[in-house]
Amino acid sequence: MTEQLFAGLKVIDCASFIAAPAAATVLSDFGADVIKIEPPGEGDAYRTLHAVPGTPKSNVDYAWLHGARNKRSIALNLKTPQGLEVLHRLVAKADVFVTNLPLPVRRRMMISYEDLSSRNAQLIYASFTAYGEKGVEADKTGFDSTAYWARSGLMDQVRPDSMSPPARSVAGMGDHPCSIALYAAIVTGLYRRQLTGKGGLVSSSLLANGLWSNAFLVQARLTGATIPPRPPRSQSLSATTNMYRTRDNRWFNLAMVNDVKQYPLLVATLGRPELAADPRFATADARRANVPALMAEFDDLFARFDLADLRTTLDAAGITFGFVGTIDEALDDQQMRDAGAIVPLADGSFETISSPFHVEGAPKTPPRQAPGVGEHSDDVLREYGYSAEEISRMRAAKAVA
Amino acid sequence: MAEGLFAGLRVIDCASFIAAPAAATIFSDFGADVIKIEPPGEGDLYRTLHVRPGSPKTSRDYAWILDNRNKRGLALDLKSERGHEVLCRLVEKADVFITNMPFPVRRKLKTGYNDLKDVNPRLIYASFTAYGEAGPEAEKTGFDSTAYWARSGLMDMVRPDAEATPARSSPGMGDHPSAVALFSAIMTALWRRERTGRGGQVSSSLVANGLWSNSYLVQARLIGAEFPPRPKRTHVLNPLSNSYRCKDGRWFILSMVNEARQYAPFMAAIGLSHLTEKYAAQADRQKNSPELIEIYDKVFSEKTLEEWRKILDSAGITFGIVNTLDDLVDDEQARHAGAIVPFADGSGLTISSPFNVDGETKRQPATAPSIGQHSDEILREHGYDDADIRKLRDTKAVG
Repeated sequence: MTEQLFAGLKVIDCASFIAAPAAATVLSDFGADVIKIEPPGEGDAYRTLHAVPGTPKSNVDYAWLHGARNKRSIALNLKTPQGLEVLHRLVAKADVFVTNLPLPVRRRMMISYEDLSSRNAQLIYASFTAYGEKGVEADKTGFDSTAYWARSGLMDQVRPDSMSPPARSVAGMGDHPCSIALYAAIVTGLYRRQLTGKGGLVSSSLLANGLWSNAFLVQARLTGATIPPRPPRSQSLSATTNMYRTRDNRWFNLAMVNDVKQYPLLVATLGRPELAADPRFATADARRANVPALMAEFDDLFARFDLADLRTTLDAAGITFGFVGTIDEALDDQQMRDAGAIVPLADGSFETISSPFHVEGAPKTPPRQAPGVGEHSDDVLREYGYSAEEISRMRAAKAVA
Repeated sequence: MAEGLFAGLRVIDCASFIAAPAAATIFSDFGADVIKIEPPGEGDLYRTLHVRPGSPKTSRDYAWILDNRNKRGLALDLKSERGHEVLCRLVEKADVFITNMPFPVRRKLKTGYNDLKDVNPRLIYASFTAYGEAGPEAEKTGFDSTAYWARSGLMDMVRPDAEATPARSSPGMGDHPSAVALFSAIMTALWRRERTGRGGQVSSSLVANGLWSNSYLVQARLIGAEFPPRPKRTHVLNPLSNSYRCKDGRWFILSMVNEARQYAPFMAAIGLSHLTEKYAAQADRQKNSPELIEIYDKVFSEKTLEEWRKILDSAGITFGIVNTLDDLVDDEQARHAGAIVPFADGSGLTISSPFNVDGETKRQPATAPSIGQHSDEILREHGYDDADIRKLRDTKAVG
């Protein structure tokens, strides 16, 4: 295998939970050496999330497995002078430092951008916050359920109709896109360093990413548009972009944005070619004027198929649609594997989800298992020049575990 | 204006709709010269999305101005030989070429990676697809509503409860994060080019980004975890971590992480001190969850969100408001954070790309081009003289 793109790049993951650490995960995918700093004892609180009631049950810490793959863990107590000294020594040689500690904590612990950039002018300091770096809420903490999903208007908008209760987000669904934005910022910083020799501060936030995700509607509102209430399905404004249910009670999403071309194909393939010329539905305008009638026809037609057969039929006809996939289906979705979106762990134990992009000629690391708390403490310390005595002294002082 | 990190970087946006073009938008934010190629006549179909029934109504083409800000427009018929020649001349000088054309179309138009890499070996060719570059579905088209939201399991999971009708995604909500992934892929290759001198192909897809977004649960399933049933909100396990509806129909999410500290003050603040003792233990609350939720539902329906906000804030209770889009119009924090920024011409506000690089001032957003608005200017820059341009226009290769 050729040398990996980020081979030799040293990354310090001094962050917790999902969004910020997952940016380091993406760097690790392309070969960077990522050192995860965790508090001795409990480690990253993310380690316990999978055991909270209501989350999927398993003996394997699946969240950690995914979010901390390829990393080495050093358990460091940053509240002790010795622990902080170790961090400084790591930072002196690092290329990237990733953190999501709240800004007041960074100031208190002396690990703000100002503190660390003076020790390494080439360092890319990647700062992740809930609500941005400035403003009255800059010091606040938040999760993607609040600062990304609820704050951005997504939670209000993405419901079956305006009257139904809003849906809770699923764990990390906003954090993971955020991690890509932080990764983007880091690589942009690395690119600049390549041109200028200088490191710098890069940043992203849950708030900014939530707004970016919902930017279509936010932009509409910012330009003075009124946002129409989401009608219930029975009062839909389009039959050709709508939800339908199959005989086996599965939902799918017809998305014929180009329905002029696809509508005649669809009705032909469903065995009702005469609907193409039916004056109620023959043109895009007519279909728009007769939504309930066309929905009734489609409801009836689609209810004759099981999802599996319908997928084959619609795929063959080139109709744009998507079925509402269940998590179970990820287990044997061939396309996700062919596309490199689901990949096996290096040790063959499980499969995992790859970072969502590829660079030709830059193979990703076959994902390795995530570390235990402090699993690599001694390794890392030795690499940074600490002797066996120094290490045992630090262990005795509880600066390292 | 500062020159910007990407000053002089040439990006060709040969793509449509949102995810792929918005990657070019991010480049433009940091100063790159982005040329948007559109078919003469109708242009990018995305131009019409905002007038579809059910879309928010306004005289401004909000979708277009968002995702094509700062770009210059070139209307080029890639089906014509001359049009293709123009494209090749642009590619010779380009740093980045972005496309989301389906593979069969790329083959027909000779705009695939193999067609263009010989024209310019330093080119970063960025390919965006619905379902990835390989496999039986690689050639399929898709939108984020299908390939990101529905396919990933998000649509199935993100509903009020397992019985509820699934909710449609909001337009572009999966495309915009996917754009950041494509931008990331391009940046990674640009970084490599700075070290090796070589260009290359990069790619991303809706399905990969949907899975990445839902990777917590997908990973759980992949290792064989057992999924608990998803209860209705009236039956969730923890009443202190639930959504509630106020008198004015507005919703908020109670998300009490530190229950030991917040539970008693919370009960006092909402006027239920007399019940504090009854549900004092976490186990009591869990066991009697439906009953307690009913009590809370009644209490919260008696005051408006604004009233509850004040009460909960002063009691120090952790909660979040389910924002409406109206709330964002004057969200101060979004402006301080640089997430909402003004257009350069003062015509209003837009949403910035979701990250910052200290010391790099993003370009003040300029308005998006009309179809072929900069055709002549761009052609002249690439060595076409007036006679050439007339010929291209006469043959309808350029519009």
